[in-house]
Amino acid sequence: MNVRVERRRLGALKVAAVSIRGLRSVASLFALPAGQWFEPAGRAGVARLTAQTLLRGTGTADAAAWSDALDALGATARLDVGGHAAFFAGQCLAEDLAAYLRLVADAVLHPAFADDQVEFVRAQTLAELEEDTKNTRAVADATWRELAYPVGHPFRTRPLGDEAVVREAGAAEIRRFHQDVVLGGEAQLVIAGGIEPAAAFDAAERALGNRSGATAHDIRVIATPPLAGVARRDVVVADKTQCDVVLGWHGLPRTDPRFTAARVTNMVFAADTFASRVGNVVRDQLGLAYYVVSTIGASLGQAPWTVRMGVNPGNVERAIETTFVELRKILAAEVADEDLALAKDKLVGELDVALESPGGVAQLVLEGELFSLGDDHLERYPRALRAVTKEQVVETARAFLPADRYALAVAGPELPR
Amino acid sequence: MWVWYHVGGRNEVPGTTGMSHFLEHMLFKGTTSHPKGDLDRLLARYGALWNAFTSEDVTCYFETVPAARFETALELEADRMRNALIAQDEVEAERTVIVSEREGSENDPSFLLGETVQAVAFDRHPYGQGVIGSKDEIKLMTRDGLYAHYKRHYSPRNAYVVVVGDGEASALLDSAARAFAALEPGEAIEPPKAPEPAQHGERRVTVRRAGGALPVVQLAFRAPRASDLAAPALTAAAVALAGGGGGPNAASGRSSRLYRALVERGLATDVDATFQLMKDPFLFLAEATLRPGGAHAEVERVLLEELSRLASEVLPDGEFARVQRQLLASTAFPSDTVTGRAFRLGHLLSTGAAGSISEWYERLAAVTAEQVRSAAAAIFVERSRTVGWFVPE
Repeated sequence: MNVRVERRRLGALKVAAVSIRGLRSVASLFALPAGQWFEPAGRAGVARLTAQTLLRGTGTADAAAWSDALDALGATARLDVGGHAAFFAGQCLAEDLAAYLRLVADAVLHPAFADDQVEFVRAQTLAELEEDTKNTRAVADATWRELAYPVGHPFRTRPLGDEAVVREAGAAEIRRFHQDVVLGGEAQLVIAGGIEPAAAFDAAERALGNRSGATAHDIRVIATPPLAGVARRDVVVADKTQCDVVLGWHGLPRTDPRFTAARVTNMVFAADTFASRVGNVVRDQLGLAYYVVSTIGASLGQAPWTVRMGVNPGNVERAIETTFVELRKILAAEVADEDLALAKDKLVGELDVALESPGGVAQLVLEGELFSLGDDHLERYPRALRAVTKEQVVETARAFLPADRYALAVAGPELPR
Repeated sequence: MWVWYHVGGRNEVPGTTGMSHFLEHMLFKGTTSHPKGDLDRLLARYGALWNAFTSEDVTCYFETVPAARFETALELEADRMRNALIAQDEVEAERTVIVSEREGSENDPSFLLGETVQAVAFDRHPYGQGVIGSKDEIKLMTRDGLYAHYKRHYSPRNAYVVVVGDGEASALLDSAARAFAALEPGEAIEPPKAPEPAQHGERRVTVRRAGGALPVVQLAFRAPRASDLAAPALTAAAVALAGGGGGPNAASGRSSRLYRALVERGLATDVDATFQLMKDPFLFLAEATLRPGGAHAEVERVLLEELSRLASEVLPDGEFARVQRQLLASTAFPSDTVTGRAFRLGHLLSTGAAGSISEWYERLAAVTAEQVRSAAAAIFVERSRTVGWFVPE
């Protein structure tokens, strides 16, 4: 791919920049080592509470003043917690990058964590948790995680967290998480858009400084016991018309050399309506679902590898069985050359199309930087996708998608008997 | 590349609501020269970003492809403009997909409330019917009805083709012209004539379901069409009320009036305000999702207070500067992608809002604080509003 990435290390901050000619805006992705993976065992939700409270005032600006300053730039920004990292994602006009990064730095480095603001974030989070109890997608996802991961595993809970933890976590715990985890590890900033790398590095250094105290978190090893068999749970959510189904397995770390083959396997299997077997059969041929999609999470650990679909209650069993029919074909090495070529072409082509936006470029760069995939990752990655063989696809499916060991959650109206 | 057809929910009559949307699905099911899956797989192979959507005004199809594959996208769109098969067996297979789409939307209480408010807000204009149609009408849709709808509305004369990409504009245009040149231009379609009479008093509606956890209040005011001189000022009013976008939980937009009045005060978890660019007079919407157990009446009162304040007091200089910056940025950012730029241009052209992105940008930049106040005062009136409550049970 024709993406020229320039890099600079500023102490515990790694910065990567890509200049895209002709754009007025820049996309900024700031990955903090503060995702679910780094939450203390049994404290699910602390990462997100901390992240959201970062947006509620700093040592020099209360929440209102900070918001006024951000909106005065016209920037868009959000801070979300994922499995591995917390992502401060934003877009601003190129001329405003320095000012935007100063605001981000103020929030991340100097949060006030005032008690009333912690309470505000807690109340908002509890409301979202309550809303999710009636959201069939959220219920199916939460149920699936409980089936797939043991107590204490970071991926057992959705990033919103455990309600009991959200209710009791105090400002002191949030401050500690911020100090030890958010500031304690290496962070990665990616800037892509209408700006020269030198100017991007300068803006980053002025805003975020050169933190020398922090070092990379120790690689945390969290065991994921393999699924022992079939675990299924159906949850009735009252007054709904459609079921959401989550069928899944444990994936593999992004750093695993088999991950590229897993992406191709995922595309052959169910990642896309037109380029994947399940999408083609379940939606296009049989009309059983409006959406059916599989995803494999990129994380340091074994993130979920799931197929998700929205199905009328009367079609749930048939849609699931059809999905397994297609999976068993892959497991039996019945992968047509045409299907494999299509999957690889689709994944490689998507890389080119992602280059149309600064945000897309930043995402591509971030994955390589975050998981230390190598300075020439973007150059090698399309070739690596193309090199995946049918044998690797079958081997990956057999290793990670066994048809007799999986977790399955269905949420929605009661299923017909 | 985008193709915009001037057909949507607005062109439907009771008994066939959802026909344009159903038809959109059928245009992925093959043509006389390309069997189903043929070009789909080719575009998938190119990694294309491609899809379609239907609104009250239009049906749109788009492909974002590597520049070298532009001709394939052109061939696909020119072919399916006139040669879609719309086979009976495919209609039956897709019917359940569309029902599934509808059922998925029904799982969301804000969809149910929005659909009901829109239906109550219009007496005559087909905007009241929405887009996807009722489940019963989807089930009754016939192949011949769909085909007739297709033949009537899908032709060069009833479409815009918008191309944005890496190349000279004239060369892109020449390619597009060649691709569509062989097609018969089709007949001119008269726009539907169902003007909405004036509203003479507040309307209220309540939706109750167990399927939602949080209460919602929605206010809908009759608003002018996209080509109205007040459209840029109303776009700015929406930003003043709820920010320039970013979605729920965004860090941006928190200086907006509704966020400050409702979310910061613990009355709501989320707020929104939208003025959509539409061909005919539509609605200005303001919405709040309440905290658990929140009181609808209190939130409605605060919403109305804020709208009234916007209509009676000129935005202070500092606040107006923020609004302007968000307004212009929210126009500039999407235009930094070819997909976003093509969408924006097609939307402006098809609704009559402006002849180009730069013209629209200039009109937004020229909006004054007094124009925002004046536009708000003209539409935020009791007699032309519809109030909707979602009450969880």
